Amino acid sequence: MSSAVRDARTGGRAAPLFGLPAVGVVALLLYVPFLWTTYVSFTDYDGLESPVWSGLTNYKAMFSDPDLIGALTNTLLWVVGMVTLPVALGLVIAVLTYGHRWGTWLRLPFLLPYAISGVAVGVIWGFVLQPDGALGQALGFFGLPGASTGWLQAGPGNTLMMIVAVTWQAAGVNALLFVVGLQSIPAEPLEAARLDGAEGFRLFAHHLWPQLRPITTVVIGLSIVGSLKTFDVVWVMTQGGPGTSSETLALSMYKETFVLNDYGQGAAIALFLSLVTFAASVLYLRYQLADGDSR
Amino acid sequence: MKNTSSGSVRTVLLAVLGLIWLLPVYLLVVNAAKPVDGYNAATVWKPDGFSLFANFADAWDKAALGGTVLATTLYSVVAPVLAVLIGAAAGYAIVVLRLRRGFLWFVFIFGGTIFPLQMVLMPLFSGYASSGLYDTRLGMVVVYTAISVPFSAFVMRNFFTGIARSVFEAAIVDGGSLFRIFRSIYLPMAGSALAAIFILQATFVWNDLLLGLTLSQSDSVRPIMPALTGLQSTYGGAALPTVLAGGLLVSLPTVVLFLAAQRFFSRGLALGQF
Repeated sequence: MSSAVRDARTGGRAAPLFGLPAVGVVALLLYVPFLWTTYVSFTDYDGLESPVWSGLTNYKAMFSDPDLIGALTNTLLWVVGMVTLPVALGLVIAVLTYGHRWGTWLRLPFLLPYAISGVAVGVIWGFVLQPDGALGQALGFFGLPGASTGWLQAGPGNTLMMIVAVTWQAAGVNALLFVVGLQSIPAEPLEAARLDGAEGFRLFAHHLWPQLRPITTVVIGLSIVGSLKTFDVVWVMTQGGPGTSSETLALSMYKETFVLNDYGQGAAIALFLSLVTFAASVLYLRYQLADGDSR
Repeated sequence: MKNTSSGSVRTVLLAVLGLIWLLPVYLLVVNAAKPVDGYNAATVWKPDGFSLFANFADAWDKAALGGTVLATTLYSVVAPVLAVLIGAAAGYAIVVLRLRRGFLWFVFIFGGTIFPLQMVLMPLFSGYASSGLYDTRLGMVVVYTAISVPFSAFVMRNFFTGIARSVFEAAIVDGGSLFRIFRSIYLPMAGSALAAIFILQATFVWNDLLLGLTLSQSDSVRPIMPALTGLQSTYGGAALPTVLAGGLLVSLPTVVLFLAAQRFFSRGLALGQF
């Protein structure tokens, strides 16, 4: 036993060797770039000459440039859209399929789009939404208005339609998470509630929904973080256009940096996005940890 | 009685919603299968002919998918494998070997997931350009590995925390070296967790657009998603059925993987998010 204790101490000394690769790769490829971007966000930098300190100029520009304010507004729209539509639909799908005899199978159509990349989702929905495309033709067939609407031609409609596209992609995975949440609800109190005559919506509102709070926090947290990063679908469907009408901050960052070579501005947008993402993550992690404590 | 009627309402509701959900997939498949010649944009809802494989081939050529498929396969296998091993080693160091200030190191590693990709893109681009990693397969593997490590370390730390300390003590008494204990006891035990991380990260790498767009450009290095966007943006050059066939083609691997590993996948998801 004493040799085991000695070896365990050796383990303590060898431990850094096992931890080093992870720490090293994360430090070198994530933290160092992070610090560099932070620094560049306070400079004027075109990627060629040395960065020139410019204080808060880039940040001031971000909150006064109409294009970037537009991107900010769109990003907000994305956040609101993604914490409502796919979350609500996910919940509905989860509650409807949970405990259903063919639940796993009935959930499949909703899960399928989740396996598809944002790029492919953009390709499909760009096709559906093009003027006189699939949606227009369907509306026309049923004699509904809007048959020849250019769904992606003007803001904020284009952003809303893209939110619909991502809802199509994301509702299924939210449903899956809600099902996991439903599974963790103890069965006995529910049975008791049923015996007391609680059913349908009442059962849901008074017994299921309160117990789903922890998982709801997680789903909403993930939705916020995900929506702040929205890039692929927008890039594929509109490239942020027409003009800048459908740009999100994630896309503006890419454009400012790699198209307009304004590295400083791009970095400022990136840092702003990081701060908001970080705040959202901390908020929902705190909820989660608090929940973990109470268990 | 009441129960059965509410049950069938539920089924009908789900079936209708599910069918609506499948409409875009239907449109994708039907139109990706139409012959490019004589493609009629006014009848997208009706099937018309079957030249899916010709369109696959067309997309394959036009987007130079041959090189990118090979490259992307390489990235989405090698990077997650490396990340899983590196993450497991970190979890082993922190939990089993009780690395000093292990929790702080764990927070440091996991902190890597908090940055949006946007935050690291520009320096990676500059750094890659000056170090010769830009537009190389090695460079892509390195960056995808780095991105996948924090999540992997997170899951592995959680997993190893659930393993009794006595396993390690017994192995030490048996005289195993720390590396051997890691390789022949802890890694095999973690099989399901490793596989779950691998699947999630492989899907992430396969579906990545932003890193590929930023750090690569030639056909043999560029991952598949940027290549597909290239095909799409030349709408005039590539006909609609070709673009859709391309979209379908690049989705097949993840869809198949997802369907094959659905249970696994959801378990991994649960592991990762809680």
